[in-house]
Amino acid sequence: MQLRFLEGIRFVDLTWAGAGPFSTKIFSDFGAEVIKVESASRADPVRLGGPFRDGIAGLNRSGYFASRNTGKKSLALNLKQPDAREVVRALIRHADVVSNNFGPGAMDRLGLGYDEVRAIKPDIIYLGMPMYGENGPLSGLLGVGMTISAVTGLMWLTGHQDGPPIGPGTHFPDHAANPYHAAFAVLAALRHRRRTGRGMKIDLGQVESTVNIVGIPVVRHAATGQEPERIGNRAADCAPHNIFPCLGDDEWCAIAVLDDAQWLSLTGVMGRGDLAADPELARAAGRLARVTEVEEAVASWTAAHSAGEVMRMMQAVGVPAGMVAHSRTLMEDDPQLRHRGYWQRLDHPELGESTFTSPPFRLDGERVPLARPPLIGEHNEDVLSNILGYNSERIAALRASGALEC
Amino acid sequence: MAEIAPRPYDGLRIVDLSGELSGYVTRLFADLGAEVILVEPPGGRPERQREPLSGSVNYADAAFAFLNAGKKSVVIDWRGGAGAEILADLVSSAQVVVVEADAGALLPQIMRVPGPRVVTVVSHFGLDGPYAGYRSCDLVTQSLGGIAWLSGTPDGPPLRLPGEQTSMVTSLYAAVATALALWDLETHGSGHVIDVSAQECIAHSLQNALQVWDLERHISSRGGEGTRDSTEDIFACRDGYVFLAAPLSLPMSWRALVEWMREEAYPGGERLSHPDWTDRARRATAAARAEFRTIFESFIRERTRAEMRAEALRRKIVLAPVSRISDLADDPQLIFRRFFVDVPHPALGRSLRFPGAPYRLSEPVWHIDRAAPGAGEHDTELSGIRRFAAR
Repeated sequence: MQLRFLEGIRFVDLTWAGAGPFSTKIFSDFGAEVIKVESASRADPVRLGGPFRDGIAGLNRSGYFASRNTGKKSLALNLKQPDAREVVRALIRHADVVSNNFGPGAMDRLGLGYDEVRAIKPDIIYLGMPMYGENGPLSGLLGVGMTISAVTGLMWLTGHQDGPPIGPGTHFPDHAANPYHAAFAVLAALRHRRRTGRGMKIDLGQVESTVNIVGIPVVRHAATGQEPERIGNRAADCAPHNIFPCLGDDEWCAIAVLDDAQWLSLTGVMGRGDLAADPELARAAGRLARVTEVEEAVASWTAAHSAGEVMRMMQAVGVPAGMVAHSRTLMEDDPQLRHRGYWQRLDHPELGESTFTSPPFRLDGERVPLARPPLIGEHNEDVLSNILGYNSERIAALRASGALEC
Repeated sequence: MAEIAPRPYDGLRIVDLSGELSGYVTRLFADLGAEVILVEPPGGRPERQREPLSGSVNYADAAFAFLNAGKKSVVIDWRGGAGAEILADLVSSAQVVVVEADAGALLPQIMRVPGPRVVTVVSHFGLDGPYAGYRSCDLVTQSLGGIAWLSGTPDGPPLRLPGEQTSMVTSLYAAVATALALWDLETHGSGHVIDVSAQECIAHSLQNALQVWDLERHISSRGGEGTRDSTEDIFACRDGYVFLAAPLSLPMSWRALVEWMREEAYPGGERLSHPDWTDRARRATAAARAEFRTIFESFIRERTRAEMRAEALRRKIVLAPVSRISDLADDPQLIFRRFFVDVPHPALGRSLRFPGAPYRLSEPVWHIDRAAPGAGEHDTELSGIRRFAAR
């Protein structure tokens, strides 16, 4: 049973791939009716990309798609057909929000630019999420999440101290910065509309959104005139502060000594009275001056213990520490996430029973219950007959012409 | 008097007891019209008091300036007596309270104040569970949340992301959750408590790694060896680096790249036209990656990032310069869009260039009203709150 916070709010959602659908998912999870307008003949790339249940590809078998589209309805249309575009325009008359993450100009070519949509529904909230914004000399540059990392400084800053830029290992801006800035903007626009009766257009340039999540280094640069240092797992003002190798293959634990008392706690657990007694190492500045030596001492100790043991021993004496988790340890071992009921199991006709992450908070002590993602075209009849009042002949005609798919 | 255009969060008062994890939550609301009141202990927040390591401005000060722009500040000793009452009055006058777990001891005090409101509690691991008492920081939560594992090189350790991403990611999720709960408060009259876990926020941002394990029993790992295409990487050019993506799943990008090399009669164009390069699995091997790197880096050795970007735009190749932070002010697109905004920094006696709006809105509702406040700067202005609350 979905929450009913947003009951009565309807999206005509043309977003696809990663960042756009992740923005609108939070609305369906909270009870908005999010109608995902998609196509079987030109399918959402995330339906085509893996991972797939049992490794077998299929439009309804992608876990990536599933994770971005819980609780939505799917209407499968071929937007190359005028009749299909007419269906979308008819739906917009009944919608509060129209969302897309196509490149600049694509919605205009579909006859669904802001001015056209506003002519249909004057108080519409219109969300676009092009990479570099809707206008300007580089607005036509093609991009993926990593390109956004590249042009915002995020990629440059991601790397070890004294090493080359490495960049995030994921299309990081797609998975938090851009979807959640977009969702926040839509929620603000909904409140604005409720108070003033006015809709608005939201042009979320994904680069501009992402520059804000590196806002701290950007303002630091503005203040100092210095390019922020690439610092990796270290910290500018304390040490040791790094990820250390532990017993086993590719096992790691982060340890962060944030003050001088924690240094004494750490050396106590390590049984290194000699380090604790070294007056040069008593202060952060001294440990930073000899950081390589300090880290080697810690690493030689961590190498003899499992990552979990290191974490527990450090935490027991108040030193911030955490094992480096990966997908398997998160889903199968992490006691905190299990305790908090973070994982939800949902059944699905083709994926079978599989695991979903809850929205990352509890609401009044409970988890936000998720509803499974839609099969492609699953809600064709529901949407066309219940919202638009089309009869079965009209729906059959749309299917026969190829405007309606599935 | 000129009419002031309404803004989305006009009339909303937020009591901000945020800390290092949640400063950006209320910044987002402030930029859209909310009155955000930072509540600070006597002497101001601890993050104000960090000694500069060098020069006159330290990292913490820049972070404070960025995260707290547009807010007001009052100093309250809330540990008891009159201070506790003032805090209660302030909470009573607010629809939203954002509190971070270090101030978690305050939670019962806040919950005792009558009236429905949204209370958003932000912590590294959530309010209960075996890790609830754990000490943490950006590095530790990026590790326990699973994002550090996914970055770095296969021959090196996992790598954290820069710029306090635990804080930024957590704040974004917390802001959206707060706005949703506020919508419900204003629609149905129900107050809510939101318990945000930074670890869960990070674990919610791992691309498709969790689904890859759940469905295919494969652990996604850093560097993507064996999965990432040879073209998806950072490459050195004349004045820095570019990032390229031209895997077979972006066929237009790949064809345009090879065509460009052939047009210039560069021998690599022939080599990359060989059927070898139509084999998805082979393209992800270490050998193919090394070969592609040699070919491509020699092709771009004499070209600048700006030249590469112009060709990418013209030829529809997915490629972009790897910009430094100091390059951003020269980005022609950001200049065209008048993206950056200058915000006064009273202590420095000048303005600092801030990132502009994360979203361009067709209504003139986004702006930064003032610089981050001094501790207690609005004590006098807000001294009427007790009367306000009593009304």
